[in-house]
Amino acid sequence: MERPQAFANLWIIIKTIGWVLALEGVADFFSDRHYHTLFRRLIFLFIDRDPARPEPPDNWADWRAVDQQNDADVLRSELGFTIPLLLESPKCYWIWKYRLWLLQETIERLDVQMARRVWEEELGLASKMLTKDKRNFHAWGYRRKVVAKLESAELDGKSMVEPEFEYTYKMIGVDLSNFSAWHNRSKLIPRLLDERGADAAARKDFLETELNLVREALNVGPEDQSLWFYHGFLMREITDYTGRPTITPNLSESEREEYVCREIDFIKDLLEDYDDIKWLYDALLEYSVDLWNLTGLMPQPDELDEYWEWLQRLQKLDPMRKGRWDDFEMMLRKSARESSGL
Amino acid sequence: MESLSDTTWDVVICGTGLPQSLLALALSRSDKKILHVDPNEYYGSSDAAFSLQEAEEWAASRGRAGDSVFSAASVTKADGQDALRSRAYSLSLTPHLIHTRSKLLSQLVSSRAFRQVEFLAVGSFFIYKPASGSDAKPSLARIPSTREAVFMSTTIPARAKRALMKFLKFVLEYDSEPQTETWKPHADTPLVDFLESQFKLDDELRTYVLTLTLSLDGRASTRDGLAMIQRHLTSMGMFGPGFAAVYPKWGGDGEIAQVACRAGAVGGAVYMLGTGIQQLKPSDGDEELEIELTNDVTIKSRLLVRSSEAPADPIQRVSRLTAVIDAHIPSLFEVVTEGAPTPAVAVIAFPAASVRSGDGVASELPVYVAVHSSDTGECPAGQSVLYLTTPCSTTSKSVLEQCLKSFLSAVDAQTAPTVVYQLYYEQSGGPANSSLNGRVFELPNSSLDLSFNDAILEPVHQAWKQVMGGEVSEEVDEEYMKFKDREGMGDDDNDYD
Amino acid sequence: MAQTPAASAALDLATDAHVKYIQSLDTRKDEYDYWLTEHLRLNGLYWGLTALHIMGRPDALPRDETIDFVLSCQHENGGFGAAPGHDAHMLYTVSAVQILAMIDAFDELEARGRGKAQVGKFIAGLQNRETGTFAGDEWGEEDTRFLYGAFNALSLLGLLSLVDVDKAIEHVVACGNFDGGYGVSPGAESHSGQIFTCVATLAIADKLDLIDKDRLARWLSERQVAGGGLNGRPEKKEDVCYSWWVLSPLAIIGRLHWIDREQLIGFILTCQDPELGGFGDRPGNMVDVWHTVYSIAGLSLLEYPGLEAIHPAYCMPRSTIERVIGNK
Repeated sequence: MERPQAFANLWIIIKTIGWVLALEGVADFFSDRHYHTLFRRLIFLFIDRDPARPEPPDNWADWRAVDQQNDADVLRSELGFTIPLLLESPKCYWIWKYRLWLLQETIERLDVQMARRVWEEELGLASKMLTKDKRNFHAWGYRRKVVAKLESAELDGKSMVEPEFEYTYKMIGVDLSNFSAWHNRSKLIPRLLDERGADAAARKDFLETELNLVREALNVGPEDQSLWFYHGFLMREITDYTGRPTITPNLSESEREEYVCREIDFIKDLLEDYDDIKWLYDALLEYSVDLWNLTGLMPQPDELDEYWEWLQRLQKLDPMRKGRWDDFEMMLRKSARESSGL
Repeated sequence: MESLSDTTWDVVICGTGLPQSLLALALSRSDKKILHVDPNEYYGSSDAAFSLQEAEEWAASRGRAGDSVFSAASVTKADGQDALRSRAYSLSLTPHLIHTRSKLLSQLVSSRAFRQVEFLAVGSFFIYKPASGSDAKPSLARIPSTREAVFMSTTIPARAKRALMKFLKFVLEYDSEPQTETWKPHADTPLVDFLESQFKLDDELRTYVLTLTLSLDGRASTRDGLAMIQRHLTSMGMFGPGFAAVYPKWGGDGEIAQVACRAGAVGGAVYMLGTGIQQLKPSDGDEELEIELTNDVTIKSRLLVRSSEAPADPIQRVSRLTAVIDAHIPSLFEVVTEGAPTPAVAVIAFPAASVRSGDGVASELPVYVAVHSSDTGECPAGQSVLYLTTPCSTTSKSVLEQCLKSFLSAVDAQTAPTVVYQLYYEQSGGPANSSLNGRVFELPNSSLDLSFNDAILEPVHQAWKQVMGGEVSEEVDEEYMKFKDREGMGDDDNDYD
Repeated sequence: MAQTPAASAALDLATDAHVKYIQSLDTRKDEYDYWLTEHLRLNGLYWGLTALHIMGRPDALPRDETIDFVLSCQHENGGFGAAPGHDAHMLYTVSAVQILAMIDAFDELEARGRGKAQVGKFIAGLQNRETGTFAGDEWGEEDTRFLYGAFNALSLLGLLSLVDVDKAIEHVVACGNFDGGYGVSPGAESHSGQIFTCVATLAIADKLDLIDKDRLARWLSERQVAGGGLNGRPEKKEDVCYSWWVLSPLAIIGRLHWIDREQLIGFILTCQDPELGGFGDRPGNMVDVWHTVYSIAGLSLLEYPGLEAIHPAYCMPRSTIERVIGNK
């Protein structure tokens, strides 16, 4: 076959070789076996067009269709090419960055529907990467970026907050200790409630469901810090609600107290089965202090006795954070003095 | 090529069951002269997988007592099902699921044989719950065996969940201090009692845990039961999310046996099907055996490896019912963990007393049902193969048939599935140990366990040592079952194209 | 605090070996690795020099050559590249400023380089005026690392007024999470490295009141795992570099005593190569200058005997910060 463009492209090929040689500097990103594949792909990338492609047709619309298909092929091929690199080096910044650039090109060059398909496939890849490494920082951040784009007008999108919220649940179902998933959940909640147009009752129901969820989790994983951090997040939504958006802005003071008391009782019940796990005592003390702040009442002597007991258990179970427990002890002594002085 | 009788063989292997085939695989790069024969016209011996026609022929010859392994075989076909395409089926005689933690899998990986086997995920384990007062219909309850599954379960009360979690955590490290102090005093008593006395597990949770031991008679000792459960838990997620065991496509162990024999053939072993051993002749010297084959050829070999004919002590027998049904049951093969593969096998346990035999007597022993979807390649799409197993007794056949009926009424389906084909037989287990008698090495038969038992790998290793000369250096032994890819079979640059 | 840590009684900081190791880094030009890390050369110089200053050996690298090399990396636009001929980037520019501050050579920047004002202009030009964030270079990736770098360098140059501080601080606050920590961008999970950049930025801007100190300190103190080392996120492995990323924010908010000092010192010292010098991420692993500086910086925060005091918001000697900015 005649390739009239081939000669003209020679300088590009020479330049490509130069690039490949320069790339030796980052050879540690690649194992040898990728090397000639990379080389071949680079040539493809720099030529950008198949040199043997026929001349543009007279009709511009046809040309556009051919051109678009060609662009789509090049972009997909590049995206496909970097997948094995990504699987091998899932923490390599520039591969992620390069993919985002390619994806952005789909928006520039392709019809919305075509571009959207590519981005949807990318969400699948993000899920796959998170199946392989549930905590990969890059993959979670990347997922948020891809979702934001899929939601945007650029891709004719609409909100994906519900399926993303569901996704965090599925990931928690794979591994309760996946703090990344709990974190993402906390970030989605305010939007989720807004978009559901949740009224006060719906918000209360939501809080109830969420507390149930984490309580169920604590029943089986009380040693797991991710769960306690998330439980603490929900408790803060109840107790520390001024000056920022929360799940339940409209709870009455007595309702808030009720919630805190109920969670304290739940943890005391957990103690019956798990009395040697420090997180329980840590949470009991923290929520008890929250309760004083809510009610404005100083602890009674019998309550103080309980706190001392919890604190002593903590000091014994978690000597590494002795400084923290000592600070708490000082605070407690001060409160006790004030309480008895009143 | 020299004729059979002119060669002095290093080893004659008789039978192509999994143990013998693994031996052929282990020797496949050894340059030993190997003759591998099997009296049957098919590969796999008691691990074989059959088309319907093969199964019928096999059943006809095993219908009477007398075979050392199989007996009482019979085939029942539903009316109008004569037209089933025989070759569309591949029914396994001894279907084992293989836990991912199994040594068998690591040997298949290190010997590169795994490349030629397609492994499918074994998904959920269920308990059959008979209809009771409040539930008019019998049901299947999924057994939670991970922390996450316990978390997601909606039927277990909070207190029970905590008790179960304590037990699961205990099992993970049961073989180290201080856990050993807890169970050693109870090592030989039934696990079920240990679960009650030490972990206060209620009746339902005890059934869950006991099912995961896959103990045929439901009476696993604490020692064995804990080991089984630990294997199950540590296997979970090892090869990917959501499954603890795998099953080889196209017929289970028989498929592995064929792949292993193929490796033996590639390595230069000579294969003869339909040829067994007529008799061993007393030989003049100590150096070799004279073996008369069933084709009247007499050959010389330094060693003979065959399976043991001795009955087990005590005799273990199971009843097996293999049924083809005309439905796929998607609810058994749901993906319950994000990112998990679609499973091809589900296991359902019928605890003791959950069904009654034909004459109304409650079953005394558990029954296990392995349901294989058509993804296993064992039946056409839209059908499933059910493998039912229970210890052999005077009522076991009737109990299995009753279980089959109960199972079909418990599954979610618009119209109850019907059985189009069924094969019943009884199987006895051989001794678990190998023996060397002069120049004859006897390997045990496949175990009756539902999950592949690594115990047979050690006799295979011993047989290999015998062929290699009895004493092998540590260096040589290190390389047992560790091979490089043969040329043209490895990873190449085009993996990703 | 005790002067001699009991846990590390058996193991001492091999200062001389570490000094030699750092000195040797620039003499390996015939080795492949040297050229592989060319894109980090200026950062490497900052890491090595900081470690030397903290170990009380500021003169172990020749001052004149250091100034010559740094200035040779500067571009017309005021920014610095990783090495001569490399593109200008925020990260190298910050390292250049930090190096020049440490060896008291801002006057050389005025006399022989493009001058402080031009450097400030380069950095300020990387701020997104709408969101307050900073990019690393003209190609645009935004990350709180760059925001922190800008605040670090501009405050050393006395040019913080060139940027929109309030907008930048708003962005830092938006990166905050329920656990008290901060992520790489709004929505991202808390990570110790990012917590350092955000908390140090707030410290430089005098905005520590915006931090939920108890909550943050609680999360940070839970980074200490059995064995004494620190990790970067829950359920992750320890790495000696977190001796800086976790400790410095704890120091900034006054909660250094919430972790076990003796055990951490013990862990850090087991990561060193006592013969050939340098620290690796975990005991027995390959050493590099990056893990070396953050190990020594961590030891300084822990008041390990014989080390100069380090400033937790700048990762530079306290004495340098006092000379350049005043008592901060």
